[in-house]
Amino acid sequence: MTGEEGRENTLRFAGICAFSLWSGLSRCFPRRKSVLQFAAFLALLPAFSAVAPSQDPLLPKLIREGQDAIEAGDYARAASAFERARQIAPGSEDVNRGLLLSYLEQGRLQEAEVIGQPAVARWPKDTELLHWLGLVYFKQHRNAVSISQLRRAESLDPSQYYVHYDLALVLLSDDNYSDAAVELEKANKIDPKVALAHVLLGRAYQNTNRSLQAVEQFQDALRIDPSLTLGHYHLGFAYASLGRNDDAIAEYEKELQRSANNPTVLYQLGHCQIEAGDWKSAVTHLQKVTELDPQNSDAWYDLGKALLLQGEVEGAAAALRRAIELKPANPSPHYQLYRVLDKLGKKDEARGELESFSALKGAQPVTGGMAAGPVP
Amino acid sequence: MKLRRWSIRWALVCAVAAAFFTPRCAFPQGAGSVRKTVTTANQQKKTNASGIFADVTRAAGIDFHLVCGGAEKRYIMESMCGGIAVFDYDNDGWMDIFLVNGSTLEDVKAGKCHPSKLYHNNHNGTFTDVTGKSGINHCGWGFGVAVGDYDNDGNEDLYVTYLDGAVLYRNNGDGTFTDVTAKAGVGNTGSWGTSAAFGDYDNDGHLDLYVANYVDLDLNHLPEFGQGPFCQYRGIAVSCGPRGLKGGRDRLYHNNGDGTFTEVTEKLNIDPGAYYGLGVMWLDYDLDGCLDLYVANDSTPSLLYHGDCKGGFTEVGVQAGVAFSGDGREQAGMGIDSADYDNDGWPDIAKTNFSDDTNNLYHNDHAGEFTDLAGPSNFGPVSIPFLGYGVKFLDFDNDGWKDIFVANGHVNPQVDQHSFGVTYAERPLIFRNLKSGKFEEMGMRGGAAMSRRYVARGAATADFFNDGQEDLLVSVLDGSPLLLRNRTQPTGHWLRIKTVGVRSNHDGFGARVQVKAGGLTQSAEVRANASFESASDSRLHFGLGTAKQVESIEVRWPSGVVDRVGAQAADREIVIVEGKGVAGSPPKPALPGMGNAMSDRKQAKFR
Repeated sequence: MTGEEGRENTLRFAGICAFSLWSGLSRCFPRRKSVLQFAAFLALLPAFSAVAPSQDPLLPKLIREGQDAIEAGDYARAASAFERARQIAPGSEDVNRGLLLSYLEQGRLQEAEVIGQPAVARWPKDTELLHWLGLVYFKQHRNAVSISQLRRAESLDPSQYYVHYDLALVLLSDDNYSDAAVELEKANKIDPKVALAHVLLGRAYQNTNRSLQAVEQFQDALRIDPSLTLGHYHLGFAYASLGRNDDAIAEYEKELQRSANNPTVLYQLGHCQIEAGDWKSAVTHLQKVTELDPQNSDAWYDLGKALLLQGEVEGAAAALRRAIELKPANPSPHYQLYRVLDKLGKKDEARGELESFSALKGAQPVTGGMAAGPVP
Repeated sequence: MKLRRWSIRWALVCAVAAAFFTPRCAFPQGAGSVRKTVTTANQQKKTNASGIFADVTRAAGIDFHLVCGGAEKRYIMESMCGGIAVFDYDNDGWMDIFLVNGSTLEDVKAGKCHPSKLYHNNHNGTFTDVTGKSGINHCGWGFGVAVGDYDNDGNEDLYVTYLDGAVLYRNNGDGTFTDVTAKAGVGNTGSWGTSAAFGDYDNDGHLDLYVANYVDLDLNHLPEFGQGPFCQYRGIAVSCGPRGLKGGRDRLYHNNGDGTFTEVTEKLNIDPGAYYGLGVMWLDYDLDGCLDLYVANDSTPSLLYHGDCKGGFTEVGVQAGVAFSGDGREQAGMGIDSADYDNDGWPDIAKTNFSDDTNNLYHNDHAGEFTDLAGPSNFGPVSIPFLGYGVKFLDFDNDGWKDIFVANGHVNPQVDQHSFGVTYAERPLIFRNLKSGKFEEMGMRGGAAMSRRYVARGAATADFFNDGQEDLLVSVLDGSPLLLRNRTQPTGHWLRIKTVGVRSNHDGFGARVQVKAGGLTQSAEVRANASFESASDSRLHFGLGTAKQVESIEVRWPSGVVDRVGAQAADREIVIVEGKGVAGSPPKPALPGMGNAMSDRKQAKFR
């Protein structure tokens, strides 16, 4: 046995002790696992020194420095400390963990992967290593392998809130709303007091056609954090999906009290007011959107629609022409403009718009069976 | 611990991104749960009348079971059955019932029959199956039915569409019918017909016939369930079509006046795109005295044919604003009906669509154009999770303002295996007209029968009990129909008008009737065939609210004749004969107590 191997065995023993202590405490206090893990690690640091007399005395100092830097959010300093520690003890699980986390937080993803892959192979039951490597892949937009790592972490320790949470984020970015909802449900069961998790679950429900459940999640989120950014917006959107336009409008208006010039909220409010028949208010809000975001084709289109419904045909024509300029391949503004021009008696121009509308529609891919909607 | 903050930061980004990039289309929600959202305490307080429909099917003696393919609905035709007709086949003044039956793939190939049934109204709240002696015995996979007196002999005839062709039954006037399809030349040969409608488009006094055809199917080469891009619904395997399948071209038959018809489909350029036809209705939308025609097509533009009063048509669906959704998108049109819901004198149109979409309420703008006011009227938004089929205007509380009934039911039973927020069986929707251009969906207040879920298809209205309240008949896929008796209390006064044409067609189809009562002017057009694959009581029913009499009636007949009738007492049926005015109320032995004069004690006997 070489000196290095001896040191490793000693450290492994210490690690086992730490793990046992951590596991025991975790079972007693499952929702404080990360804190307990860190506490156990600190508590056992003197033991490390005691049982590893041949260890370079610089190593624990570097590890502590790295931990302190992580605590302070200084990941560059943490990475530097753990890099130096790794030169001393390349086989140390804690050093590799620290380095992986530091690289991950710094966005040094390739380096994180180089550290993370062999670390996960060497310590395949380390939930956090798997979790962090999964996040490295997520940030690299390699969602399939990310999900694979996170699923492994989840199977090792299903009580980890953030494994479910982060797995849900990856699934959401894959538009896999159904599975994301399952993960967020698990996360919310572990800790129901995270407002954002309720928002994300609401979005997942929204996109799997469970708008009523989405409403409940957004309401929960707002109960937990009444000042939650876009909370009322999300709730309004869910109400609109249920056809509850009045409720939706009320929520959008609440959101606007906090951010009066948010073009997205203004747009949805205007859109909903068209649906609800309040065309005058819709025009006001949509005009504001077009001032704030003049490149927003959808806003110009809806403004044209609202003006047409109000009987302001000339104004409608101008708005629809702008919508067409911005998004010429969209058939809908051509259809509306056709109707406007027909009302204005401009039959030739109207016919031209109708032809454009038909041509653009014909160019669109036909999807779906009996349902008119697209196949997801 | 830092990781935790990092995760939250990412989550924030994702949440914000989701908000900004989420499409603004609406998503459906489970039927049961929507119900909770539409029945608030405040709404209940505002409601004066409670619309109560009671399921009296069993008590009425109707024991029909609609057969329509297998439980899995592996093929498109297995989801589209459900034709029902309400008509007075024996001229006794009471509405009888005809129920079209479907079949299964195996049985239709083997020639095994699932008979359609004719039920006679016994005038006491019950019906008797008289199919056996009626002569209605065609064996096939039936879908829709149209009613009309095509030969002007005073007896209502039946036209039934099948998976392969159609049958015209001439009513012999003695309780029997004769298959005259071959002689009449209306066989719709080789085509799968769905809805059909009689209407006199050239005002020659004889009812012509329009047949909507859906898909050209070869039963020996049916598209494989779940195989291909047009056999998916939200990513799950379902029956194929109609997209990806060849559409069936609709047919228009001109009545020659001698018991025969001539097909004029090609001559009049009817449905040249062979769209997937489902709902059909004749109406005079521009009040020029000539019938126009509206056809709801599935997944393709709906068509509005403007009649030129000379026997020709121009298709104007896009110009009129009834071809697409408000954004120019094709919809999966199913059922249609027309009435003047805002009492402005012009006929409006209701149309049902697939789930994930809103039903349409096309308001007639009086200039040959319509605006879809489904959103502002509250008719559309609540329909998003529902897949609508039959739709009928009716005045269930007799307040003089047309309410709306919608029969719902999905086409894919597979949706029940997933959390889509859409269910196979769905509750119907009943909308009460609030007289302000808006409706409220009654939800649970429609009664227990309205709260249950069905895979409903056809829907027809009629006053089956001649008690002055409009009832409903609804077909249910693979199940018993629903005879829903209207027991709304309190209810207003009413007047029912039966039209008899002389120079015009005998039914008076296409006649426009205007009634003035209690400061309100209502108008309606005589027709039987609308909704989905169905025919309703063609007698016009006017709710009068508190008015105990009608001040005046005007009837504009298709022939151009105009009859003006003076004051008439309410709560009865009158017959107006073309050129002669009121012929007198027919001797109809009504159930004890009629209209709002009926005492609770007397009503109780018949509940």
